Amino acid sequence: MKSAFRRYGLAVFSVSVALVISLVMQRFNFRAEFTAFLLAVAVAAWYAGLGPGLVALVLSSVLFDYFFLEPFYTLYVTASDVPRFLVFLAFLSLLTWFGAVRRRVEQHLRQSRDDLEREVMQRRALNQELAKRSGELQATNKELEAFAYSVSHDLRAPIRHIAGFTELLQKNSASVLDERAQRHITMILESAKRMGNLIDDLLAFSRIGRAEAHKTIVSLQQLVQEAQSEVAQEVNGRNINWKIGKLPSCYGDRSMLRLVLVNLVSNAVKFTRTRPRAEIEIESTNHNPDQIVISIRDNGVGFDMKYVNRLFGVFQRLHTSEAFEGTGIGLATVQRIIHRHGGRVWAEGLVDGGATFYFSLSKSEGV
Amino acid sequence: MSTLGRILLVEDDPKDVELTLTALEDYKLANEVVVAHDGAEALDYLYRRGNFANRSTDNPAVLLLDLKLPKVDGLEVLQQIKDDAKLKLIPVVVLTSSHEERDMVTSYKLGVNAYVVKPVDFHEFVNAVKELGVFWALVNEPPPGSVKKD
Repeated sequence: MKSAFRRYGLAVFSVSVALVISLVMQRFNFRAEFTAFLLAVAVAAWYAGLGPGLVALVLSSVLFDYFFLEPFYTLYVTASDVPRFLVFLAFLSLLTWFGAVRRRVEQHLRQSRDDLEREVMQRRALNQELAKRSGELQATNKELEAFAYSVSHDLRAPIRHIAGFTELLQKNSASVLDERAQRHITMILESAKRMGNLIDDLLAFSRIGRAEAHKTIVSLQQLVQEAQSEVAQEVNGRNINWKIGKLPSCYGDRSMLRLVLVNLVSNAVKFTRTRPRAEIEIESTNHNPDQIVISIRDNGVGFDMKYVNRLFGVFQRLHTSEAFEGTGIGLATVQRIIHRHGGRVWAEGLVDGGATFYFSLSKSEGV
Repeated sequence: MSTLGRILLVEDDPKDVELTLTALEDYKLANEVVVAHDGAEALDYLYRRGNFANRSTDNPAVLLLDLKLPKVDGLEVLQQIKDDAKLKLIPVVVLTSSHEERDMVTSYKLGVNAYVVKPVDFHEFVNAVKELGVFWALVNEPPPGSVKKD
């Protein structure tokens, strides 16, 4: 409101100054009114915008006509003065228009600048928040690392001792121990071994979260072969019919993806153990051009789809450890690795009707 | 089995010492094992200070070094050995519970001769210690200045 008053005030003021100058100049027989009023309108339009510019224009025209066009001191315009008055008006209008346009442009610029400034402030606040979060994350990560380190170092030692001395007891004092005691010793050893495996698997699992992924082009075909030779010992003496389709290459961390296939293949081998003839089928089911989907199907003991959500959790097991050994970390590891690669894992199964595990990976750049 | 090198075992945990010695004994590799219970003691031995001021001047044929040690930790011991012209020839084998890549990389950077993670399984542990003992105290020709027992 105040600024509007000021702007129109500027228009009136500049026109008044022009009038005073013109009248003073007239005394000295010097005609300056044309220039003076033009300047006044220009100033008003330039600094105050269209409205004040128009006000200045009207005022200037009236005053020009009143004081400087014959007949003087009337608002009457003679025919001979019409062209001159029109030129004056045309000039004034042009000036007003220019001024107004400039002002509008300036206003836009100012608005953009303010917007930008606001955005910069917001960004700055966001950045600060981000830096804070990242600091917190780093601290958490450090803590986690320290935790994993002491698990790896401190927890393994007592287990090794339990296993070691029990083993020595079994070896050196077998003659003085009765059958029951021997059985207990075996149980202690089994438990110690299991604890050791659990710690190792848990550490491997936590390492996947912390380790950097070194991505290269990886042949899934080759990884499957490696996974097969890894489980060769379990396969020994069993009747397994492998059906391996043609598998594509992908872009990912080789050792991590290898772990995925080793886990899935050894699961397939493990859970078909009760079958006289195991069928394990690995193929690429490629319907989406941007994605690789690999499926691993077996005719093993399967699972109830009602527990499908628990399948990929840490320490989640659907079978007793007597039936099928394992720590319950394998599929959690698989899921973690695939998620780190931006893919998805899922499974289908039927109790006693086999299971199929799928994982997807986005198609590699450049393959 | 004519010559046996002397083994310096640096290990703070008495249970681990006993297990390691048992493993070495089983294969008759233990008649020349000196045990240091922390990093400082290991350095005392190597520099013939304190309790070890009167030991013979020969260096051990191999040093089995745990990483997590009281007083001076294993990596520091390793660094001091490899920084010292007189000691740097002694083969050092890190024998640790740590699976951490960081420890492994640091050890190799400092010039360790081998890095062995103690297996949890006793048989594997005995095997690992046995192989280490056989290789470093028997098969390997230690650098000049190491003790060899006939």
